[in-house]
Amino acid sequence: MYVGHFASALAMKAKEPRAPTWALLLGVGVLDLLFGLFVPLGIERMTVTPGVSPGFSLDFIDWSHSLAMSLVWALLFGALFFRRGVVVAAWCGFAVFSHFLLDLLMHPHDMALWPHSPAHLGFGIWTIHPPLWWFFELGFIVLCLAYYVARAKQLGGFGGRAWWIVGVILFLHLFNSPWLAPTK
Amino acid sequence: MTPIGFAIFCFVAFLAPVPLLAWLDRPRKSK
Repeated sequence: MYVGHFASALAMKAKEPRAPTWALLLGVGVLDLLFGLFVPLGIERMTVTPGVSPGFSLDFIDWSHSLAMSLVWALLFGALFFRRGVVVAAWCGFAVFSHFLLDLLMHPHDMALWPHSPAHLGFGIWTIHPPLWWFFELGFIVLCLAYYVARAKQLGGFGGRAWWIVGVILFLHLFNSPWLAPTK
Repeated sequence: MTPIGFAIFCFVAFLAPVPLLAWLDRPRKSK
């Protein structure tokens, strides 16, 4: 999942407007930012598989994406925001862990319980039927953005250009479609 | 695309939209 993570961050912002938007948006991407660092460093491994959905195989992502490490990264990230209050810190931490929960739906059995654990999780929507995942994620995005726009209109104080955000998110999701993605 | 290229692409894809989306989320100034 890619853009769905950003959409979930915006839904969290709508739920807890005191949480900094940038922190939620950054938080939902922490696991993939770590993955982006760990692969070049040789700590994690993946293979590009053009023509086979989703276009790559995540061979070893235990340090960024396992259940245990996701909780560790969430706690560390949340701790950075304790000065803003426990509730805000908890939401920032949850933003990180939400990445694991959403990826769990998409990934095909490549998310370990802990680093080097023999047990792996993942419901594999990515591989069930190639275009299905894109429409599933689109549905999730629409739900999150509808909540965000409605709350922004109701509460004010955030979402000043909410419809621009909707446009950017949908554009990014289109760019990440099975028909346009760089790894298609 | 190589695995390292994909990883860097992934890193940028999750980082680059953050400032733009956060800026668009700011409340409009009241007149």
